[in-house]
Amino acid sequence: MAIKPSSAGASAHQIRLRNRLSGWSQQHQLVAVETLVRLLRQPFASIMTWLVIAIALTLPGAVWMTFDNLTQLSSRFQQSGSISVYLMPGTREEVAVGLQNALNAEDSVAKVSYISADQALSEFRRSSGLGDALDLLPDNPLPGVIMIEPDLRAAPAEVKAMIARAEHEPAVDAVVMDDAWLNRLEALIALSQRVVWVVSVLLGISIVLIVGNTIRMSIANRVDEIRVMKLVGATDAWVRRPFLYTGLWYGMIGGLISWLLLILGWLLVSGPVRNLASLYGSEFDLHPLSAAVALILLLSAMFLGWAGAWWSVVRHLDDIEP
Amino acid sequence: MSMVRFDQVTKRYSKSKDALSDVSFELQHGEFAFLTGHSGAGKSTLLKLMMLMERPSKGEVFVDGELLNRMKPSRVPFLRRKVGVVFQNHQLLFDRSVYDNVALPLLIAGYSPSEVPRRVRAALDSVGLLGFEKRNPIELSGGEQQRVGIARAVVNKPQLLLADEPTGNLDPELSEEIMNLFLRFQQVGVTVLIATHDIALIERMGHRRLILDHGTLFDKGAGSDKNAGPDKGDANGH
Repeated sequence: MAIKPSSAGASAHQIRLRNRLSGWSQQHQLVAVETLVRLLRQPFASIMTWLVIAIALTLPGAVWMTFDNLTQLSSRFQQSGSISVYLMPGTREEVAVGLQNALNAEDSVAKVSYISADQALSEFRRSSGLGDALDLLPDNPLPGVIMIEPDLRAAPAEVKAMIARAEHEPAVDAVVMDDAWLNRLEALIALSQRVVWVVSVLLGISIVLIVGNTIRMSIANRVDEIRVMKLVGATDAWVRRPFLYTGLWYGMIGGLISWLLLILGWLLVSGPVRNLASLYGSEFDLHPLSAAVALILLLSAMFLGWAGAWWSVVRHLDDIEP
Repeated sequence: MSMVRFDQVTKRYSKSKDALSDVSFELQHGEFAFLTGHSGAGKSTLLKLMMLMERPSKGEVFVDGELLNRMKPSRVPFLRRKVGVVFQNHQLLFDRSVYDNVALPLLIAGYSPSEVPRRVRAALDSVGLLGFEKRNPIELSGGEQQRVGIARAVVNKPQLLLADEPTGNLDPELSEEIMNLFLRFQQVGVTVLIATHDIALIERMGHRRLILDHGTLFDKGAGSDKNAGPDKGDANGH
């Protein structure tokens, strides 16, 4: 039983700073790996927590994906709304037809139809039943209208430029886009997005609580270990570290599973959506989650897991004293 | 400068009774002393005050020249790294190997992982357990477990080694073996304080005795008449 001479413990202070730093970063790596291994050793309990986190993330993720697609859809509808070009009263027939042909020649226009003032009047007479009253009017009060259906493939800017050119024509009184329903759709989307935000925040809080509770239980299971660590000189940071990494892992793996679920959901739904869209004559295609959004999802999952662990550790760990 | 100094220390857990009352003593660097007394006399309390597991109600406690009374909680871990402790129930972790148990203080103190194995082996060698690294402490005998506890207490080369009833569960032969182990650490400069009620053993070994009786301390100096062991000559060394 040989004993090496000790310089009365002063050697503890002789650890060089560089050693200390490399020890510190190696310690972090070690703790990260150890905590992951610990989680994988109890697969059942870990998978339950991961799935709960994944589902809590998948719900807002899926809704986010839906709205992202809807917004793109509504910007396409923006162009598909028909445009009415009202002509000045008394515009002569040949001017109107000339304008119709000119508009028809525009790239951004799919289809143009002309309804003359007379046609409009007779249409109105038939549908309103005010025939006799209309006879009392000295002139036809209705203007001629050119109806434009924009080309769906045209860029919005092109359509806007075409509208601007039409407005400048001397024979044109006003150009009106039939987009009231579109505005309503957009307002509805804006409202729903607000609701989704609230739901997302609530689900985020629930992730913090789930992880916090799981960490609380693992702290309770390791009280003896924590006591011994504190007895031999562990700082609070050192004792907290494995639990914070555990929270980070919960969030990260939960986030990855959620991402897989979203891809799976997209694969399941995008076929039928394309089918439905084609029945409406649209080439609309459901986009998957972009890489940036997937990354944000993952990072926020990691943050929420870490925050849950932090919350639990601050509440329970510091109470454990040897 | 002494290693440990208690200056009129009183510790009161409840209003009715003092666990320690007006306790004063000093331990010099490299000294070896026993702390004894009936159970409930305040031995554990006295040890806990040196580890800041408790704080005194009155009086001052110094360890290595540092006043512990108002030490900030964030400094406490660094104090504990200077002090090795051995418990009666050895407080080993059974979910890991002997090696990992002994390595724990080194990892906590931030030694680089490349440095740890050498020091762990040196500590295990010093308690005669070289080759036990991969064993689980639960497979070991009581005496061997206690020696793992001692290896963990000394692996960081603390200046002060405290032991609370380290032989409480051991038969007399093993107890003497453990005590001799503590003596060896004292011989290389560690200050050692052992709380025990094993009077027979203390009397055989001699050395300074601090006796607690209902919270009051009596300092007996080196064991006198019954001092018959082999290496007792100048046990106090100062």
